[in-house]
Amino acid sequence: MDTQPSTRTPDGGEPAVRLDTITKRFGDVVANDRVDLTLERGTIHALLGENGSGKTTLMSVLYGLYDHDEGTVSVNGERTDFDSPRDAMDAGIGMIHQHFQLIPPMTVLQNIVLGHEPTERGLVNDAAARDDIIDICDRYGFDVDEYLDTPVGQLDLGAQQRVEIVKSLYRGADILILDEPTAVLTPQEVDSLLAVMDDLRADGRSLIFITHKLDEALEISDEITVLRDGESVGTVEATGATEQELARMMVGREVLFDRLDREGEPGEPVLRADQLRIDSDRGREQVRGVDLTVRAGEIFGVAGVQGNGQTELVEALTGLRPVTSGEVHLHDEEITELRRRKRIEAGVAYIPEDRQREGLVEDYSLVRNAVLGNQTLDPFASRGVLNWGTVADHAADIITEYDVQPPNASTTAHSLSGGNQQKFIVGREIGHDPDVMVAAHPTRGVDIGSIEFIHNRLIELREEGMAILVVSSKLDEIQKLSDRVAVMYEGEFVAVVDPESVTDEQLGLLMAGAAREVDDYRDATLAAGSDSSQPDTSAAEETTAAATDENPTAGGRS
Amino acid sequence: MSTDDRGRLRTLLDRAADWLLDATVLERLAIAVASTLLAIAIGLVIVAAAGFDPIRFASQLLIGAIGSERAILRTLRNSVLFVLAGVAVAVAFRAGVFNIGVQGQFIVGGFATVVSIIWLAAFVPTGAVGGMILLVFGTLVGIVAGGLYGALPGVLKAYGDANEIITTIMLNFIAIGFVGWLVAGPFSDPDATATRTRRLPANVELPQLVFSDPNLSIVGLAVTLVTVVAVAALLTRTSFGYDMVTSGYQAAAATYSGVDAKRMIVLTMTLSGMIAGLTGAVFVIMIQGYFTDPSGIGNYGFDAIAVSLLAANNPIGVLPAGMLFGGLDSAGSHIQINSDVPVQLIDGIVGLVVLFVSAPELFRMTAKRTGLGGDSE
Repeated sequence: MDTQPSTRTPDGGEPAVRLDTITKRFGDVVANDRVDLTLERGTIHALLGENGSGKTTLMSVLYGLYDHDEGTVSVNGERTDFDSPRDAMDAGIGMIHQHFQLIPPMTVLQNIVLGHEPTERGLVNDAAARDDIIDICDRYGFDVDEYLDTPVGQLDLGAQQRVEIVKSLYRGADILILDEPTAVLTPQEVDSLLAVMDDLRADGRSLIFITHKLDEALEISDEITVLRDGESVGTVEATGATEQELARMMVGREVLFDRLDREGEPGEPVLRADQLRIDSDRGREQVRGVDLTVRAGEIFGVAGVQGNGQTELVEALTGLRPVTSGEVHLHDEEITELRRRKRIEAGVAYIPEDRQREGLVEDYSLVRNAVLGNQTLDPFASRGVLNWGTVADHAADIITEYDVQPPNASTTAHSLSGGNQQKFIVGREIGHDPDVMVAAHPTRGVDIGSIEFIHNRLIELREEGMAILVVSSKLDEIQKLSDRVAVMYEGEFVAVVDPESVTDEQLGLLMAGAAREVDDYRDATLAAGSDSSQPDTSAAEETTAAATDENPTAGGRS
Repeated sequence: MSTDDRGRLRTLLDRAADWLLDATVLERLAIAVASTLLAIAIGLVIVAAAGFDPIRFASQLLIGAIGSERAILRTLRNSVLFVLAGVAVAVAFRAGVFNIGVQGQFIVGGFATVVSIIWLAAFVPTGAVGGMILLVFGTLVGIVAGGLYGALPGVLKAYGDANEIITTIMLNFIAIGFVGWLVAGPFSDPDATATRTRRLPANVELPQLVFSDPNLSIVGLAVTLVTVVAVAALLTRTSFGYDMVTSGYQAAAATYSGVDAKRMIVLTMTLSGMIAGLTGAVFVIMIQGYFTDPSGIGNYGFDAIAVSLLAANNPIGVLPAGMLFGGLDSAGSHIQINSDVPVQLIDGIVGLVVLFVSAPELFRMTAKRTGLGGDSE
């Protein structure tokens, strides 16, 4: 087996990969809309975009996992059309998936050679493979050869990722696609990964680096292509680009709609959180001391680039995730420990971020979906018995009022388009007359008409006195809807601003973390421990900025 | 296997999964009937190849199942157990929990019923009233014991992340071994030649109103029907049932809707075990009258998995599916006596039916779990 990148031709000017007007549809949803991307040989090309912007889909087209509907793929100057990842691998493309494709109980060596075992008279010849792998490791300074006989499951995630990279190199990959490789890593591991990527580039290999982290894209890549809603917003040279510019490209600046008129002043506080600290599933602190207050008749917006703790915050507020410290209050009652069902019953409605996984049961009819989350609430159930007649009427009402297509309550949720699924969820969540509505990305992947509809409905609810918290990474949406906007960065509210007077530049800066003037903040908080009640000046500053009644001045601090 | 072959196989699997996942209830019913007929047809070929008369075998199969009043009663009696145990399996499968331990819960429930009745018999009057008290008490004890034995792997799964398939299989062995030891030792009947417990008191007997078979009572049938209807209503008409079924369909959506996933696993396993325990109670009260060595008791709890799969885990569907198995079982014992076809061959053919009828639904469930079926997401 040849482990060297054998097909690397002397630089003939042909790019390693050229994607030309790639379009990929899933049913009615256009996941990639005429996307161009050129990966020059011996460079790192970052593919930047929010979740759901089509990054992974585009790379899956290149890697032969999906057929594309339009456009062409060229590798090393040759038109190709891969039927399977196997074809892509044969052409020298390797992909490091976000979820590692490793078998935990098998050793590192076994994992690396899996499917490409060097054999001798039908028997696997480990020794030959071992030497090849050690060669690769020496070349790039990997430590993988030190634990070739350890089961993969015993390695930490950073080491597992290096095994994945070695596996691709062992298979002769000349072009590497790294799908969100830093998402699971600690800051130190990120640094060493970036160093490895740099070495690979120096060796003449070409890398595509999928990420939604601006600083990493700027630090390591040569060129950056930004995707938004399946379209390429543009490609820029990393040198000379700024985080602020990239942030705006990612979240979009064209204002589709004007800010909606609103009447009435906010009333009493309804939902309140004090000094919330929340861990991710992996035990990393994702929310670091957030205070917020949402009043009756107010839309409180949370802006920020995805992955800065918004998901964890929303899950903690809705009762799906425990907090490590801090308190949540609904009206005057503390609900920090209240289970999800009790919170629903207490009046907390939730439009979830992932509607297909959480918000709907795909195989259920709309009637059955109309009671999801409300299955214990009057009038849909009394004393534990469901009243399907009432539920069916409810489903029919939602369909009529929210113009759900097709207007058939017995159709499965699966057969609805994303926009119609979302309208149905919005209708259902409003239907049980909650006090608080937590809406996470309420219009992601939704068609323009439905966006308008959902926005208007949220404003109406505001006017009726509901307390609404909207999380979105779309700036225009946040500005259009919110009465106040908190900008979230690295688990904190770095500022609370007035959506009408804040400028694009200010928001861009805040979202890129520019409000944080104390560079060694992380060290400071680590030193101070998890409690926030220390007199450290940096933390005090953060707390002030995060105070909910703060006037919108924090944006101008830098 | 070459890459091409693998790709083709995958495409074929995807297509089959697509088709099965999209099948309507009627199509699935047709699949079940076709599977049964196909299995029997292949079985007949094997019978012929072994040198026996397949036509005679086929007619014996029919006669043994429904050919006489005795055969029908025997079929009904078997069906009671298959249906009840099938419902126990179906409840768990519907909630996405794979309770393979119905056999063990059935054994523990049945044994607990016998022991508790014999114990309490000393304190209640003989006669009909006392018999009624013993019946109800013993049945409740059986249900509770089965429920607890089912709750155990539920707790292990929910709070210890232990795979319920493995733990329930192991708990089956433990139930067989431990109850077997109790039956042979501390609870054995010193006067009996066989290894068994003492008999239930004579007043513990279900009324013989309709059937001439002493081991089949209308009460047993009624309990079965009530259980089927009650479980079906629970799943389709209650908030709790909605929680359960939603957990089975889409766990993340269930959590979103306020279901505590861990608690739901424990409750599901408990409920499944309770029904298995009820099956055990019915078995000892209506049929056996004492408890024997559990290793030779009949694999109702295992066959119930096939029953449930054949019924697509629908409690109402378990009724015909359980009766099919009851009929096959009944025919098997008839053929064993009335023909020279060896018992192993009969068992093999019944096994073939089990395999054929469970395969489509098993494939369906696996396809769902593993995401086969191509573009279905």
